Amino acid sequence: MSPNSSGKRNIFEPLERSFVADLWGERFGIPESVFSGYIFFQKANSVWATNDAILPRLSYEAIGMRIMNLKDRPWKPTTSALQVFGQYATKNLIRLDADDARSFMEGRTLAVESDADSGYVVVFHREEVLGCGLYARGLLASQIPKERRIASIEQDAEHCS
Amino acid sequence: MEWLERYRDMIPDFDGFQAVQSQPLPSSCRINTLKIERSALLDRFSDSGIDYQRFSWYPLGLKLNLKSPGKLVENLLGYIHIQEELSMVPPLVADPQPGELVLDMCASPGSKTCQIAQMMNNRGRVIANEPSLARIAPLRSNCERLGVMNVAITRYDGRRFPLRPVQFDRVLVDAPCSSEGRERRGPGVLCLSSSKRSMDLHRLQVDLLKNAIRLAKPGGTVVYSTCTYAPEENELVVEKVLDLARLERISIPGLVACPGITEWSGKNLNQELYKTARYYPHLNDTGGFFVAKLVRKEEHL
Repeated sequence: MSPNSSGKRNIFEPLERSFVADLWGERFGIPESVFSGYIFFQKANSVWATNDAILPRLSYEAIGMRIMNLKDRPWKPTTSALQVFGQYATKNLIRLDADDARSFMEGRTLAVESDADSGYVVVFHREEVLGCGLYARGLLASQIPKERRIASIEQDAEHCS
Repeated sequence: MEWLERYRDMIPDFDGFQAVQSQPLPSSCRINTLKIERSALLDRFSDSGIDYQRFSWYPLGLKLNLKSPGKLVENLLGYIHIQEELSMVPPLVADPQPGELVLDMCASPGSKTCQIAQMMNNRGRVIANEPSLARIAPLRSNCERLGVMNVAITRYDGRRFPLRPVQFDRVLVDAPCSSEGRERRGPGVLCLSSSKRSMDLHRLQVDLLKNAIRLAKPGGTVVYSTCTYAPEENELVVEKVLDLARLERISIPGLVACPGITEWSGKNLNQELYKTARYYPHLNDTGGFFVAKLVRKEEHL
């Protein structure tokens, strides 16, 4: 049996709602009430959220949505989770215009002026959440997962060569 | 293509059926109302000049006149999901309600799972089962992109999905099949078809469907679907479970269906099988599909 197949990694441990709500409240100013109606689990370094409904005793591969990674400091929210909860953010959010939004969705790093604290931010275009960005010293690095980026014209050209 | 000859007497306008096989299938998508309202999505498409056509039978379905619809930002943000037109039928037949407990037994890549989650408005619980480890990642990825919160994923062999601790309100068995109805999407699937292959799949399908019925609560709904024409994988599978469940008639207004067959290869089948539905590619300009709606009998199994 390889170390990776040990039983422990595969266990979803229930996690207090307040643990999650406190972290999201502290970083993004999201009110705790946004998280009522959800239950939370931790498996290895990942935190998962699902609606508060019956969860039969079965062996699970995934429960609801993976919303954050606790491995590094600071913790990192997933783009999927920000698209659900990020709209309630009151701080550490950055709004982009249409051109920058497109570059962000291509996975690029942009020069952006913002009063956001360094670290992970919710990135908006108008009222819609695009996903997670990493902001520091006037630079915003897109954290959009590769498979969810739009192809840039330059990347397409590289493919052809 | 020769293989399809065995269906000459079964399929209306057989020449039209054969002719359509070489025409590529138009791409289509489902509007994901967990993330965007239908009217807002249609406005977005109109504003960006995206060429679409509404389905005649389902307000959330759109045909897209595009080469790579997967690259649309609306898809990457989870506002739409690229999904074959007829693949949207089984969840509608299952008719899941918010708050229910639903099992999708053969779930990956999750198009139907997510449609069910959407119909339940992210409430209740959907168990999405997928035995193949390699197919868990795309299933998860689709659920997360589409903002689905009420799905939990398991990895059991569907034939042995545990009967305890719960019974489900509804179970969908979108069974592994010979996929003859997908020829328009990727020519070549028909080369693999044979009676032996269909009969091997038949045994698996019967076992999956029998367990699905056991997993449903008495009076619960079980929907069985495939994307193939082979009666061995369709009516002949459903016929094997009619002691456990009764058939209900399927009606999707706006979509042309043919009743399930009650005779095959010179033998009479259970007459109730006319209540199942066959969808043919030349009658709706789609792929091919088979759907049966079963209700678990009250008796002890």
